[in-house]
Amino acid sequence: MASELSCRELVELVTEYVEGTLPGDELERFEQHLVYCGPCATHVEQMRETIRVTGSLREADLDAAVADGLLEAFRGWRDGRS
Amino acid sequence: MTAYKFLRAGRIAPFSGFEWPVGSWVEAETRVACGAGIHACRVADLPFWLLDELWEIELGDEITQGAHKVVAKRGRLVRRVDAWDAEVSTEFAAACVDRVRRLTEGRPEAEGHLADVVAWAPHASAAAVASLAARAWEAAEGGDGYDTERTAQSAWLAGRLGLHPAGA
Repeated sequence: MASELSCRELVELVTEYVEGTLPGDELERFEQHLVYCGPCATHVEQMRETIRVTGSLREADLDAAVADGLLEAFRGWRDGRS
Repeated sequence: MTAYKFLRAGRIAPFSGFEWPVGSWVEAETRVACGAGIHACRVADLPFWLLDELWEIELGDEITQGAHKVVAKRGRLVRRVDAWDAEVSTEFAAACVDRVRRLTEGRPEAEGHLADVVAWAPHASAAAVASLAARAWEAAEGGDGYDTERTAQSAWLAGRLGLHPAGA
């Protein structure tokens, strides 16, 4: 019986995958999908690279204007404005 | 237990990036199915994990059976299955397309699946064609059709590559 993930399902699970919290059966289906779907494999690699790069940033590394913009964006998201 | 393992070119594990040595035991700290551990294939699992290189692997200690893989605490690459190469990979994909073609003969309602597989086959990896073919069979025959095609794929690989029924 087919149990292959769709690309949409994979994107929904990608955070859990890179954090290593996917349960065994879902992890198996996730990695099976990566074997045959090049675009999704690229997406996961981009996520990993983004985490690797941004994970090394400290608050002091951020330009003040960028920090203000991010804070505004998050406040807007919480308030439903973005 | 002797099983099989697909790797990227240069003996690179596809998800961890680990470069496998040949002949040396590699230990995993834990053995949770589909978590940390040494992952390998039974013959029936091969079509789900097709990559550049196929290796025979000896697995040690307790082995956990997953749906489409086995997981062990340790393993070592024994030998490369040289018969699996780009040419045979193309042959395999063509065999998948042929089975979908036979499936759709005299069934106009299923011809769309054949068109999809034929259109994708020249540009896609063997793994992608295998998945498309299995889903075409599923669309035409239901869930049993998916299993039928996956079984046919593993039988083709075992016959063409001369594999012994490892872990069967």
